[in-house]
Amino acid sequence: MGPSSAPRRLSGMQKQVLSLYRGFLRAARTKSAEDRQRIESIVSIEFRRNAKEVDRKNFLYIEYLLRRGKKQLDQLRSPDIVGLSATNVSFSQTKAPTH
Amino acid sequence: MAAVTGASSISLLRSAPQQFHQNLALSRTNGLKSVSLAGYGRSSLSFGLQQRSLRLRVSCAAKPETVAKVSKIVRKQLALPDDSAVTGESKFSELGADSLDTVEIVMGLEEEFGISVEEDSAQTIATVQDAADLIEKLIEKNKA
Repeated sequence: MGPSSAPRRLSGMQKQVLSLYRGFLRAARTKSAEDRQRIESIVSIEFRRNAKEVDRKNFLYIEYLLRRGKKQLDQLRSPDIVGLSATNVSFSQTKAPTH
Repeated sequence: MAAVTGASSISLLRSAPQQFHQNLALSRTNGLKSVSLAGYGRSSLSFGLQQRSLRLRVSCAAKPETVAKVSKIVRKQLALPDDSAVTGESKFSELGADSLDTVEIVMGLEEEFGISVEEDSAQTIATVQDAADLIEKLIEKNKA
């Protein structure tokens, strides 16, 4: 992972993570400029933090994060959701369903 | 095919003598291109465009302007100083970008150029030149 000069060969899981990241950034584009910036900043911090802290061999946990991320992304995609500070920032707490 | 070439583009004929031995093959592919050029309307632009499409076909190299624009976005995205050396050969990883940065760069390019990069191609981009080439290819495709 990280900066390697060889042509990047990504594992399937890494591809999934990047694809999720892209999905978040795309979803953020559909929000207002202010919300978008906030979302992008939270998402970017969260991904980078996990990239650093989570052991890359901890597949179970990464899979869990991926699943959780996908759910959050689905919610974020809905037009009446304008941010995810409540979901992503309170990382350790179980997030209450927002509907 | 001949009908398409003849009807839709006069500027193509003008450049034909420059095409030497590739004349036949190129004018045919250009015939296809000219359909997209016709939509352009501005004749001053069409000449430049045509030059590029010619060059694209031969060497697949992006215009220096595109490379410069990509470099600028890359600098901005990676928060590099304006005078830092970012060239076509610069690898994103050598500039200090991790894979998440690369995703951000590609997204930034999409917005700037009004294109949509597919995931598979996004993951093959390693250098500024790669990105510029892909962008020009996509822009061409959008116009067609």
